[in-house]
Amino acid sequence: MAYAYLFKYIIIGDTGVGKSCLLLQFTDKRFQPVHDLTIGVEFGARMITIDGKQIKLQIWDTAGQESFRSITRSYYRGAAGALLVYDITRRDTFNHLTTWLEDARQHSNSNMVIMLIGNKSDLESRREVKKEEGEAFAREHGLIFMETSAKTASNVEEAFINTAKEIYEKIQEGVFDINNEVRHTSLCFSFLLKPLHSSSVPVFPLFLLSVVFQQCVWFATLPLS
Amino acid sequence: MFGRSRSWVGGQGKTKNIHSLDHLKYMYHVLTKNTTVTDHNRNLLVETIRSITEILIWGDQNDSSVFDFFLEKNMFAFFLNILRQKSGRYVCVQLLQTLNIMFENISHETSLYYLLSNNHVNSIIVHKFDFSDEEIMAYYISFLKTLSLKLNTHTVHFFYNEHTNDFALYTEAIKFFNHPESMVRIAVRTITLNVYKVSLDNQHMLHYIRDKTAVPYFSNLVWFIGSHVIELDKCVQTDEEHRNRGKLSDLVAEHLDHLHYLNDILIINCEFLNDVLTDHLLNRLFLPLYVYSLVIPETSEERKINPQVSLYLLSQVFLIIHYHPMVNALAEVILNGDLSVFTPQTDILSTHKNTAGAGAVRCFTKPSESLERSLELSRQRGRKRTQKRPNYKNLGEEEDDERAGGGGGGGGAEEGWDDDSSRGVEREGGREKGKGTEGVGGGGDRSSKGSRASGETAEEIEMVVMEKCKVSELTEQNITDEEKTAAATRTHTQRSRPFLDMVYSALDCTTDDYHALFVLCLLYAVSHSKGINRGLLERLQLPVPDQEKSCYSLVLVERLIRVISQASQPDGKVRLATLELCCLLLKQSVLSGSQCIIKDVHLACLEGGREESLHLLRRFYKGEEIFLDMFEDEYRSMTSKPLNVEYLMMDASVLLPPTGTPLTGIDFVKRLPCGDVEKTRRAIRVFFMLRALSLQLQGEAETQLPLTRSEDLIKTDDVLDLNNSDLIACMVVSKDGGQAQRFLAVDVYQMSLVEPETKRLGWGVVKFAGLLQDMQVSGVEDDSRALNIIIHKPSANPHAKPLPLLQANFIFADHIRCIIAKQRLAKGRIQARRMKMQRIAALLDLPVQPSASEVLGFGQTSNASPSGLPFRFYEQSRRSPNDPTANRAVFASVDKVPGFAVAHCVSHSPSPLSSPSPPSSGSGSTGRCDSVTASTVSAQSPTDDAFLEHTPPSSSVGDGEGGDVTLVSSAPVAALAPSLTPASQPTISLLTDNSAETLSVESLTLLPPSDSPHLHPCTSHTPATLSLQRPDAVIAEEEEEDEEGEGDRKEEELQEEDGSPEEETVREETTDEAAKEVEEGDEDAPVEVNSDQQATEYVTEDTDVHSDTPDSPELD
Repeated sequence: MAYAYLFKYIIIGDTGVGKSCLLLQFTDKRFQPVHDLTIGVEFGARMITIDGKQIKLQIWDTAGQESFRSITRSYYRGAAGALLVYDITRRDTFNHLTTWLEDARQHSNSNMVIMLIGNKSDLESRREVKKEEGEAFAREHGLIFMETSAKTASNVEEAFINTAKEIYEKIQEGVFDINNEVRHTSLCFSFLLKPLHSSSVPVFPLFLLSVVFQQCVWFATLPLS
Repeated sequence: MFGRSRSWVGGQGKTKNIHSLDHLKYMYHVLTKNTTVTDHNRNLLVETIRSITEILIWGDQNDSSVFDFFLEKNMFAFFLNILRQKSGRYVCVQLLQTLNIMFENISHETSLYYLLSNNHVNSIIVHKFDFSDEEIMAYYISFLKTLSLKLNTHTVHFFYNEHTNDFALYTEAIKFFNHPESMVRIAVRTITLNVYKVSLDNQHMLHYIRDKTAVPYFSNLVWFIGSHVIELDKCVQTDEEHRNRGKLSDLVAEHLDHLHYLNDILIINCEFLNDVLTDHLLNRLFLPLYVYSLVIPETSEERKINPQVSLYLLSQVFLIIHYHPMVNALAEVILNGDLSVFTPQTDILSTHKNTAGAGAVRCFTKPSESLERSLELSRQRGRKRTQKRPNYKNLGEEEDDERAGGGGGGGGAEEGWDDDSSRGVEREGGREKGKGTEGVGGGGDRSSKGSRASGETAEEIEMVVMEKCKVSELTEQNITDEEKTAAATRTHTQRSRPFLDMVYSALDCTTDDYHALFVLCLLYAVSHSKGINRGLLERLQLPVPDQEKSCYSLVLVERLIRVISQASQPDGKVRLATLELCCLLLKQSVLSGSQCIIKDVHLACLEGGREESLHLLRRFYKGEEIFLDMFEDEYRSMTSKPLNVEYLMMDASVLLPPTGTPLTGIDFVKRLPCGDVEKTRRAIRVFFMLRALSLQLQGEAETQLPLTRSEDLIKTDDVLDLNNSDLIACMVVSKDGGQAQRFLAVDVYQMSLVEPETKRLGWGVVKFAGLLQDMQVSGVEDDSRALNIIIHKPSANPHAKPLPLLQANFIFADHIRCIIAKQRLAKGRIQARRMKMQRIAALLDLPVQPSASEVLGFGQTSNASPSGLPFRFYEQSRRSPNDPTANRAVFASVDKVPGFAVAHCVSHSPSPLSSPSPPSSGSGSTGRCDSVTASTVSAQSPTDDAFLEHTPPSSSVGDGEGGDVTLVSSAPVAALAPSLTPASQPTISLLTDNSAETLSVESLTLLPPSDSPHLHPCTSHTPATLSLQRPDAVIAEEEEEDEEGEGDRKEEELQEEDGSPEEETVREETTDEAAKEVEEGDEDAPVEVNSDQQATEYVTEDTDVHSDTPDSPELD
């Protein structure tokens, strides 16, 4: 399938907050949420359309790799967007957000788009974290915020797509320097060739966002410590 | 992409419950009917496989019979069958997704075992998918990663086959180690790390990994890293105008990723693997590529990367990797080694045969064959001779050696760094070595025969041998090599240290500090590395943090000092980061515990540097407001963001030659200043750093910075005694619409909003306190009773969006009060800033301009006094609810007497020390009489303005125990030598409440400076410090006092004890200030004493005070 851009996302957050379920819910509509079944997956891809352009989202769950510093580090750096997930029925998962965010900020490029997600919004009766708290946290740290339910699929679509929109806007604003292609030429080249046959949409030069973040002025604003 | 196909399966509708065993049976039926994939049934099959996934997971969570059925019918075999039909992308992706989901979601161990039990999974792993399809690639690698996360001591047997020596999960994964897609590479790394972790508990697997895969994998990995490094270097070399920064930062991040990955492997601490890895890293990468590049002349073709790049990369290595055998060996070579490590050591070959590179020339060469091919060969060989275990490692190495020996083309990387003849020798050595190894362990040289049969037992022996020599090899290897070489080939005993020499000489900053920064980082990293023997560092007298020592490296320290003195030059090319690092290292070098062992001559040089920096800063010192803001801002940024070397070395921008322009987006500390403002900032920063360094080396505490210490400030919820304070009632309407009734009080440095304390009359609880200097006051257009007040938050990060601490409209009872408030605030702001400016001037040993002193003045002697005054005034009074008596004592006088007068009176008497002006103690009573005269004046001027009193601070503060107020007597001191008293701060000034005239007298509260405990340290040591630091200052003070004309002063003081200092100030020092005050529009009473408005103001205040004095018993 042809696409203009490929956005790589990662999903981060404590274990058990429903990261892989969110991922599956978004990437594969065929798995309908059912009450007595929890399914998740560590990788998924899906095509979306923004502003008339086909955009492919690749989403990588980073679960289970926390013990290796090199892995978390690389994941952050390779992604254009991150979904930071907590469980609204477990206060501790909310409390750990700061740590996650620090990690993300430290390792990622400064213009990675981070979306905060309060998952399991279907379990209203067991809610421990108020929506307002999530909103406040997001506002304080400059994140987009949403409450979702992987179970009922509520807001899942929006969460991923809004993140993509944000990234897309950054591209339009020139925040991501798409000319700064590095050493992934071969890969991009293969992508470029592949889509041609099936594409009715004009194929834009493909850019792997993960590798094209530019050192813009923000970089200077990163705190030293 | 799956979305469309939902609901395709027609049969689904018929089944009542798709999550059931029955449905699975139905699916099974579908599979049996469609064993061949065709265009027609493709969609059906995909949906069937998908549904099976769902049912299996549901079964795992709800109904175990589902799994039984799945196994019983061997449904996995159907999957394989479909896969093998080249069924196309659509089906492949579905299968891989299914497998991912299955292994990801299965929670029962037994279910997992069932799934893994009949080797189908391994068949799928080795299936040749179409990896050019990125989606298949991604699903495939995720599948492997999911599996690797399921590895443990039990499940590992399903993947690793001891008998056939197959470990598809691992070997298939590592083939993608250099895949262009970063996510794939990350997944490969995850898989390998998971495998290594599990291999710790499985000897056979460990042997397999080490013997069959470690050498091919690590040698290729090392080559991959090295290639990136060369690309990185090229990027630096070809850079023009910093255009390559984006790419460069990417390459740097990539290098960091590699180092972190290597470190993650090393800290799993699997010795077998670590030996091989260390060997490859050292001998194939770090030494030949990084270290060797340090000393190769620029013109030589052998130089692969530039010294600055190599220093930078080595710093990263030491900052990230702490594995002892490796970093210690590396440090040993850099700090203590010579070029002999790069010549072949034939004599050692026989003893160190187990380490791949020990005998070989250390060179950065391309592995002879691709990883995939190596693995393939090993498989084939494994199959042919399943009983034998060719030692792969030796095989690969031999080939490398041959390659090197053969010289020539092949990517230009092959040249060894020895001449041709030695290369020949080396080749011999390689051969020899190969044979030797073979003899011991049944090595894998294809040409060799014979010993292979020895098989397993031989290998065991090899292991043992390896264990034994490992330690010595890895830690001492280089030394031994070197010594042997030295003995064999040289006669001189003096060891040359070309690398260390290079490192030191790169500290030269005369033209720029491009190299110096990296050298400093490297030294810092080495000295902080946990993996390096302290002994090594101590032998070389390198700075070891937190350790007792009696001497330090003169060479290093002198070079550091040179950098420091260059930094303090006006046109110094030293960046702030370099300077900060320099100071750090210097401290590390000469501080031994709490002792400083620096030699006097060096200390003198440093003092010289500090002095220089002071002179430099003086040039930039201006009375402008912005200077104060910069000054404080720099201090904040310096203290809030101390240099983090690891982060510094993560920043690719420092790899490019130092630049001055902020247009690059490079952080200020990592570039040279651009323009006057930045030059000023730099000068300020340099001054701070050198001052801090100097103080620390001399074991003194900083007493004068920051200008505002947070502990001195009034804080929210403090409880203050506001009796006799000037309070203006107002309604505070915040931006978001909140309203509150508050009283506005203005302190010397702060304004605060208080509300009455319920328990004690006249006391108030602070609801908000903000610095006057950061305040902005403006009128409100349509309301003459209102003021708009914004107080900005001082921010350490200049880029952060300024966030106001307070943004509100203050509505007063009437426009008069409003004007008064405005004036007080505005004046307070100016004053607060002036006072701080004066303290800066004092820090810089600048003479205080008269105007400034006047401002301070406001009549205050306090500034002048050498002792540190408490910044705030309420120290004891607040937070004291528990100890009413104490408070009582302190405030006794205050309660009854208007503060101003009281304060002075009291102060004089108890403070013998204060005395530059002798009259102090006696003056109280005498003066009082005079005040009466003044009071007449005051009667006419009912209003008083803001004002201040001030308290004096002198040394006497310390003495005034027992509730007496201590005051410094001396006006003269005050006015004169502010420079001497940087620490001193005026006490609070509270505005009187204009509205209540009757009260005004009472309300003019000057709380005496209570002798707050925390002040003592200040007062007591400040003078000492000062005098030590600047003896000249002391002299100046004395002179100034003299000039002031003590005689006059005494008289006046005697006559008007209370008000005198103020009045005097006013009279004597007419000023620019006055003019400003005029502009502000004092609405003051008639001017009787002075025509000068300002003077009037003071006078009126004073007079008010005086008029009150008679009432106060205390005075008598």
